[in-house]
Amino acid sequence: MTDQTPNTNQDNAQPNAAQQQEIQESNTRLLGRRDFMTLLIGGGTSFVLATTLAQPLETLLTPFMQQRVNSGHGHGNEESPYRWGMVIDLSKCVGCDYCVYACQATNNVEDGMRWNIREDDVTQTGNVYHVTRPCLHCNNAPCVTVCPTVATYQRPDGLVVMDYDKCIGCRYCQTACPYGARSFNWDSRDEGAAAPHSPEFGRAEVDTRPRGVVEKCTFCVHRIDAGLEKGLMPGVNAEATPACVNICPTTARYFGNLKDPNSTVSRLIRENPTLRLREDLGTDPNVYYIPAEGMVV
Amino acid sequence: MSAITSPASTRAEAGSRSYSWLYWLWILALTAVFGVGIATGIYVLQNGLGVTNLTDELPWGLWITVDLSAIALGAGAFTMSAAVYLFGLKHYEAVARAAVLVGFLGYTSAMMALFLDIGRPDRFYHPLIYWNVHSVLWEITLCVVLYATVLVIELLPIVIESTFLKRFGWLVKLAHGIHRLMPVVALLGLGLSLLHQSSLGATYGILTARPVWFSPTAPVLFILSAIAAGASLTLFVTLFASMVTRKQLVPPQILRGVAYFIAAAVLGYLYLKLWSWAATNYYSEIPEQQLGLEILAVNTPYNYTFWFGEVLFGAFIPAVILLWGRLRRNPRAVMVACFMIIVGLVINRWNMTLSGFVVPLDWLPGEASLPPNTYAPNLIEYLVSAGIVAYSWLVYSLAVRFINLYPDERPLQPGEDVQML
Repeated sequence: MTDQTPNTNQDNAQPNAAQQQEIQESNTRLLGRRDFMTLLIGGGTSFVLATTLAQPLETLLTPFMQQRVNSGHGHGNEESPYRWGMVIDLSKCVGCDYCVYACQATNNVEDGMRWNIREDDVTQTGNVYHVTRPCLHCNNAPCVTVCPTVATYQRPDGLVVMDYDKCIGCRYCQTACPYGARSFNWDSRDEGAAAPHSPEFGRAEVDTRPRGVVEKCTFCVHRIDAGLEKGLMPGVNAEATPACVNICPTTARYFGNLKDPNSTVSRLIRENPTLRLREDLGTDPNVYYIPAEGMVV
Repeated sequence: MSAITSPASTRAEAGSRSYSWLYWLWILALTAVFGVGIATGIYVLQNGLGVTNLTDELPWGLWITVDLSAIALGAGAFTMSAAVYLFGLKHYEAVARAAVLVGFLGYTSAMMALFLDIGRPDRFYHPLIYWNVHSVLWEITLCVVLYATVLVIELLPIVIESTFLKRFGWLVKLAHGIHRLMPVVALLGLGLSLLHQSSLGATYGILTARPVWFSPTAPVLFILSAIAAGASLTLFVTLFASMVTRKQLVPPQILRGVAYFIAAAVLGYLYLKLWSWAATNYYSEIPEQQLGLEILAVNTPYNYTFWFGEVLFGAFIPAVILLWGRLRRNPRAVMVACFMIIVGLVINRWNMTLSGFVVPLDWLPGEASLPPNTYAPNLIEYLVSAGIVAYSWLVYSLAVRFINLYPDERPLQPGEDVQML
């Protein structure tokens, strides 16, 4: 090498190779009896310490943790009189895609990034029906749990929304969402361009999102918030209701407050058999489906 | 290996003359590939991730594989540091320095890949200020950042004492100070590594919606494979550099110790891997997972890459080579074994990343199912990845030449081969 450091014995190449090896072997032996006893006593002490300290430490740390995690997992800390939910009647849906287009026009969503989609499905008896899927706004949203920056969070009223200013675009939420309800802005959007399917299906009410962040269905949160301020009730007054619900020509979609037992959605859930997508995962979605003819619930 | 063409007499002389023009050609080639990688990276930063072949259905691909592999292959640093500074195996310092450098290169490579792979590189620091303590990825980010700092601290004294920096007295004092703190630093490194190396497996293992991924063994398999492959890469580059420079860089009994260590880790990995498979696929059946594996078998070479790439050639055969005395005493056989473990690890990380995405989500309430997803990296993704690999090889090659990376090295006699025990 370039530097003649003292510990490189370059001149005496192999001094007593066998002897050296023996010394090194004894030095590299892993565990003597003394070490073993030290480990045993040390391990035991640590265990006792850890078990006695666990409770006081938790009470000490919890307030600090909650302060750092401003939204956290599941329901927010504050109580809200609302939990927004949707009921979709699969037996009424004709697959016209109007809800898909209205969503795109209102929220300025491109074709490849649709927040609200339609798929054709078939029952066990061979009956073809249509499933439309907005974001299900799960109470136990996997996307909220995995987000490393709290860029996606659940509001006290149940809406799972995005903070586009915090999102780093890691796409772990896309990976974690069981419903494929999240889209990534792979490319820059042309901000001057008209929203897809506008003006026939509505006009853009929100800005386009920047390149490199994830976006998703918001239940038209801007309409809900503005409507409540004006004293309107989402799900009752069209101005405060998501665009997809308003436009449905067969009234297959209903929106409202799941915490109010007298709301339309609550009544429909009470009076009809309903299912939620992948209930086995424990995500606890706020979107309920009334089954199509021939479906096993 | 045949890079040295000069006669034996000049070879025996220590110093820079033993580095032939082939060395500089190698450096030049790596610099060129690294340069192309940087240029491609800038193109990606300007145009966004739309230039890749990634989609909303399959949002992680080659770069995530590079990132996972680089972090796993950098795991030699924490195991060797722990051996030297915590478990009292002082003689392993002969190889620990190289392990720390390999670790540093692994982590910096991973950070480069991640920096390009997130949609908003300008916000790379957000996990540090917006905490979500429930997110496994948040924990990984914090650990990786802290551990990269640990690696810099561990590397600093080595760089200071073997470059022009040793002329500055305060820097030398700093190096001595760090050296005295090494046990603490090594303990920190051990803790952080055990955390995030496992959490990387948990990234996939916790996702209940993806039956092929969802598994409590994923975190443990990740750390065991990382321990094996990290030490393998350190041993591989050490033997490779030994042959090229015609030096016994690390004493043979230390090399043997590392080989045994790798073999033990590989066997542990293999044991858990086989039982993980048997418990969920052979002795019991999870219908969703079975369906997922069938979809993978039809659409991808997953079955072959798993059984041959990961299990047989990636773990079993290398373990046999490293434990079979006659084969282990042959440095070339050991290099082959290490190389097989490294390739097996990269195949594993690729399979882990792709398998869960290829199998489509199953959220439709009826009988219909969504089509499987496909992905193949495009040229841009390959060029960036090649650039990142070239970066790590480049820095390592320069370090062997300019830094006192192997404190116990001695030149080989003419006709003498690198020794293994």
